[in-house]
Amino acid sequence: MLLNRLLPFLLVAVVLAIWEAAARSGLWNRLLFPSLVNIFQELVLFFTNSAYLMEAWVSLYRALGGFALAAVVGIFLGMLMGRSKLVAGMLDPFFSGTYAVPKLALFPIFIFVFGIGSLSKVALVFLECLYPIVIMSYAGARSVNRVLLWSAQNMGASRADTLRRVVIPATAPFIFAGFRVAVPVAMIVVVITEMVASADGLGYLVIYSLSSLKTDRMLAVVVVIAILGYLLDKAVVLARDRLIYWEKLDTYYV
Amino acid sequence: MALAKASLLIAVLLIWQFAGLPDYVLSPLEIARHFVQALGSAELYEHIGASLARSLPGFAIGSFLGAALGLAAGTARWFDRMLSPAVFLTYPVPKIVMLPIFMLWFGIGDLSKVLIIALACFYPVFINAYYGVKATRTILVWSALNMGATPASVFRRVVLPSAAPMIFAGMRVALALSFIVMFAAEMINARTGLGYLIRIAENSLRFDLMYVSLLAIAILGYAGDRLVRTAHSRLLAWQPA
Repeated sequence: MLLNRLLPFLLVAVVLAIWEAAARSGLWNRLLFPSLVNIFQELVLFFTNSAYLMEAWVSLYRALGGFALAAVVGIFLGMLMGRSKLVAGMLDPFFSGTYAVPKLALFPIFIFVFGIGSLSKVALVFLECLYPIVIMSYAGARSVNRVLLWSAQNMGASRADTLRRVVIPATAPFIFAGFRVAVPVAMIVVVITEMVASADGLGYLVIYSLSSLKTDRMLAVVVVIAILGYLLDKAVVLARDRLIYWEKLDTYYV
Repeated sequence: MALAKASLLIAVLLIWQFAGLPDYVLSPLEIARHFVQALGSAELYEHIGASLARSLPGFAIGSFLGAALGLAAGTARWFDRMLSPAVFLTYPVPKIVMLPIFMLWFGIGDLSKVLIIALACFYPVFINAYYGVKATRTILVWSALNMGATPASVFRRVVLPSAAPMIFAGMRVALALSFIVMFAAEMINARTGLGYLIRIAENSLRFDLMYVSLLAIAILGYAGDRLVRTAHSRLLAWQPA
């Protein structure tokens, strides 16, 4: 019984133990395999240093800014596509055709257009997050139960009322599923763009630590990025459970 | 109706062609011209080959491991309790951050990139295989057991075909992801491949080369996606695409 409860932690504990043993064994250079103690020390240093915390905030602000823009535009476009066959016919081929194309390839052009600062990164995050949100909102707006719409019309609801009281609540679970896919994408894109072309942010810190051969600091920043990604996902789930309390939708994909 | 659908694309192309553009944005006709010219030279194919040589093995390894472990986790409860929390916990983490660590351990050559692509492709396929197995309809399993099937037979004849559509959906996502991660890894550190090509094109202000590699990777991504969809409709002919 106790073993059953501890089983999830068993794998992690074993991996950590192997790491520490390998680090202390002296088989590899200390730089290649930093000890967990060093990584933990760097982690503590990270959280007590305001300059590093500023870097984390810069990354977070880029990711959330791009995501917020994508959410606003994406929900609007997706619901428009869901309710109007003409718009769906025009935009759907565009979205499903370019879905498989890595939008990261456009990043050099974005740097030319928006400069090398935050705006190019926010623009790329916007573009990358747009796709899941639009696709999921479109799927949701398209599949509103017609019986509900007819009932609303029967009871004398205007177009605006139908939209507000029927369409939006019915689409909301799909929108949040789209959010859940888009938030990790935002983090990933921010970290990649900062690793490729940036002078601030967490991705830059990773590359900088690697270049200075401070691998324990690099791994500490990796842990920070992991924690950030995990917390953002938990925040989306929390918001979803508070706002859409009537339905527990546990899917990651459509 | 068809004309309306195409009208947006045509309008965008026309505006793009004839608008007054800054230096770094080429018009569609020029991009097409450079692309056709590049198709004739061997240079583009070298880089495409190098990129595919990294992303396809990574995709294959990651998808295979993801499908195998996802099926196992969906089937065996103890395996599920051991592995799934770790997978779901690390899912929101951007896997690309492991690239510097992988470069430390496995060198700056191709191995680190193949492994990071495999790591990134593992997650969607694992999650989809896991949920695919969990969503097998119990009545089908009961029918098979009733007719005297062994557990292995139940797995092979009922669970596997039931989970297959979701696994294919996961592989579509994994393929798109493999291109993105390959691209990112090459932009960060590589000496061959499409990401590297775009990076040096940007550095030397050779916009023709940049747009050509952009178009090449767009075509690759689209073709790969269509391939997986075709494989899906062929192998799983009883399912709507």
